[in-house]
Amino acid sequence: MAATSEEALMWVEKYRPKTLDEVVDLHDIVESLKAFMRNPKTMPHLMLAGIPGTGKTTVALCIAHELFGQNWRSFTLELNASDERGIDTVRERIKDFSRYSRTGFGNIPFALIILDESDQMTGPAQTALRRIMEIGSRTSRFILICNQSSKIIEPIQSRCAIFRFSRLDRQAMKEHLQCIAKKENVKLQPEAAERIVDYSEGDLRHAINALQTASAYREGGIVDEKTVSLVIGEASPMLVQKMIRKALYGDFMEARKTMYDIMGSYGFSGSEIIRQIQREIFKMSDLTPEQKADLSNLIGEYDYRLTQGANSDIQLSALLAQFARFGKSIEESYATK
Amino acid sequence: MQRNELLWVEKYRPKKIQDVVGNEEAKELFVEWLKNKRHTKKAVLLYGPPGVGKTALVNAAANEFGFTIIEMNASDTRSEKAVNAVAKPATSYVALDNFSGSTKSSGNLLFLDEVDGIAGNEDRGGVAAILKIVEESLVPVILAANDPNIDKLRPLKKVCLLVRFQQVRIPLIIALLQKICLLEHVHAEFEALERIAQNSRGDVRSAINDLQSLSETNRTLTLQDTVVLTSRNKDVSMDETLRGFFSAKSVAEASSLLSYSSVDYDDFLLSVSDNLPRRYMDPGELAAAYDFVSQADVFRGRIGTENWHLLKYFYNALAKAAAVNPQSYKPFEFISPPIRVMTLFWTKSRRSMLDAICSKIGVQCHVSKETAKEDFVPYIKEILIKQKKSPLIAYFKFTPEEVDFLIKMSRF
Repeated sequence: MAATSEEALMWVEKYRPKTLDEVVDLHDIVESLKAFMRNPKTMPHLMLAGIPGTGKTTVALCIAHELFGQNWRSFTLELNASDERGIDTVRERIKDFSRYSRTGFGNIPFALIILDESDQMTGPAQTALRRIMEIGSRTSRFILICNQSSKIIEPIQSRCAIFRFSRLDRQAMKEHLQCIAKKENVKLQPEAAERIVDYSEGDLRHAINALQTASAYREGGIVDEKTVSLVIGEASPMLVQKMIRKALYGDFMEARKTMYDIMGSYGFSGSEIIRQIQREIFKMSDLTPEQKADLSNLIGEYDYRLTQGANSDIQLSALLAQFARFGKSIEESYATK
Repeated sequence: MQRNELLWVEKYRPKKIQDVVGNEEAKELFVEWLKNKRHTKKAVLLYGPPGVGKTALVNAAANEFGFTIIEMNASDTRSEKAVNAVAKPATSYVALDNFSGSTKSSGNLLFLDEVDGIAGNEDRGGVAAILKIVEESLVPVILAANDPNIDKLRPLKKVCLLVRFQQVRIPLIIALLQKICLLEHVHAEFEALERIAQNSRGDVRSAINDLQSLSETNRTLTLQDTVVLTSRNKDVSMDETLRGFFSAKSVAEASSLLSYSSVDYDDFLLSVSDNLPRRYMDPGELAAAYDFVSQADVFRGRIGTENWHLLKYFYNALAKAAAVNPQSYKPFEFISPPIRVMTLFWTKSRRSMLDAICSKIGVQCHVSKETAKEDFVPYIKEILIKQKKSPLIAYFKFTPEEVDFLIKMSRF
C-alpha cells in the first residue's frame, strides 16, 4: 500500500477523486452509490464492470473514503486478482484481514474488501471466492472490479449490485484534462487536448498519463498538438507495429522473431499482444477500412483459439502467417489493377 | 486378467545374487567389497548401460545379506538439502540395529541410483553432499550410474570402488526368457526369443518387457509375432521424426509416423511450429499449414491433463499440416533447440527486472502489474528520458539499475 504521507507524483494518482462528487462523468452511478452511502448498513456487495480507465477503481476508493474517512486504509483490503497467485493467497489475505482489522467503524458494521481485476480469476477460484463472500458477508463487504461481468460466475453476480461503466464522454474528458493542466500550470492547447482524447479512446488513465508525459517534454509549460503526437509515437508499442508490418510485407521469420522478443524481453502474454495488435491495426493509415475489418476477423479467430490452446506463441505465429498471406493477396490485387 | 497383475520385470526380479544374469566379474567384485573390503573404499560406483542388472544386484545382495536399503533416485531432487534430509539419518545410526539383537539385520545400506542424473542447477551442491555422506557414512554407500564419464562425477570416482557392468550376452538372455516362458506357460519358438534377445541389445529389462507385451494376448509366440518389435524398439529421434513428418506424401503417412514415434508431443508441436516456415516458403501454404498447427494446439489445450481421448484429433490436425503441398518439399536444416526456449532463457533477467518495476508502480497507482506494464511503463519511461532527475524515481523507489533499464528499454 502506498504511504499516505507522500504526495502522489503520478497525475493519475494526484488527481484521483477522493469523493464521489468529484468523479468525472458518471452521474447515474454516483447517484445510486450515494444513496447507499446515506445508510451504509444497507450497502450490498458491489460489482463494477467496464472498460479500462473509466473510473472503476477510483469509485471503489471513493467509497472507502466516504465510509471510513481518513482511516480508510485500516478498514480496506485492496487486492489485485491478477497479481495474487491463486485463490489460496486471496483466501489467506482476506482471512488475515478480517481477523486483524476491527470490523466496523462508527456506525458502519463492516470492513471493505476491494478485489480488482476479478475477472482474471479462474472458475474454481471464483467458486472459492463465492464461499469466502458467504462466510465473510456479516463482517465485510466486497467490491469486485472487472472488465467483463460475463466472465464472473452467475452465483457471484447474483450476490452483487452491478454497475456498468461505459466509455467516458469526450467533452467531459477534455474538461478534466484542462482542469488538471490548469492546476499544474501547463497550457494545454485545445487541439492537443483533442488529440489526446482521440488517442486514448475513452480511457482517462491513458489520457492523463499522455498529458503528464507531454508536459515533461515541454519545460516551458505549453503543450501543443505536435508534442502530443510525439509522445504518442514514442509511447506506442513500436515492436508490435514492427511485427505487424514485417508480417504484412511477407517477412514471416522476422515478424516471428520480433514476437518472441516482445514475449521474452517484456513478458507480455499472448492475449496482451493480440490486444495490442488489434489496437495498432486500426491506427494504420495505409489500410482501407475493409482490409482492417478482414484483419480484425482473423485476429478475432486467433484471439479465441488462444483461450482454448496450449501454446500462445504457436497461436500468435499462426496469426502472423495469416497476416503474411493477407499481405500477399493485397499485393496481388494491386498488381492486377 | 491374472497375467496383467504384475510386470514380469518385477515378478522375476532376482532374489539372490546368483539369480542376477551375467556380469559375473562385476558381481564378484561387488560382493567381495560388500563382505570384506569396505574399509579400503567407503563406497562403490556401479556403472553401465541400462537394464543390465545394477539395481537388481543391489536388491539381491541386500536381500541375501540382510541390509535395509535406503534409496534415492533421479526422481528426487538431489540438492544438498534433500540429500542430507534422507541420507544423513540413514547413515548415522548403524549401531542401533546391532543392539536390537536381531541377527538377520546387517543395518542400513544407502543406495543412490542414477547419480549421473544430478544436473547443474536444481541439484546444486548435490555432488558435494554425496561426497560428504560417503566420507562420514557408517553404512555401505552404493552409487549407480549409466554414464560414468560425466565431469561432475569425477570427485566421486576418487572415493569409490568402480564396478563396470556390460551388456548381458544374448544366450544368457535367451535362457532367462525361456525360464520365464516356462513359468508363465507361454509356448515360444526359440527363434522368437532369440529375436527379442538380440533386439534388446543386452538390456535384460527391455527384453522381459517385450516378451510380456508380445505374449499378452495369447500364450504362443512365433517369430512372426516379433515383427512389430522393430518399430516399437527403434527409438525414432526428434530429427528423424521431423524429417519423416515434413517429407510425408500424405496425411495418412504423417499420421502413422506420429503414432509410431516416441518423441514427446509437446516438444514435437513446438519443433513443428519452429520449422514450418522453412518447410513452406509460399505464404499461402505457410498460412494453411499454420492454421492446422494452431488447431492441433487448440486440441492440445483441450486435452489438458485428462482428456487424452482427444489425442487422435491432435495428431490428425498436425498430420494435415505436414501434407499441405507434398510437391513443394525440399530437404532443409532444422532449427534447434526450440526458439522459445532460447528466447525465454536469454531474457529471463530482463523480465524479472521489469516485473519488479511494475509491482512498484502497481503499489503506488492501484493497478496490477499487467496494467502497469501497458498503461504506465511507456509513459514513465519517456518522462525519465526527458528528466533524468525526475522526482518520480524517489516516488516509486526505483533503484538506479531500474532507472537505467527503463531509459535503455528499446522501444516496443
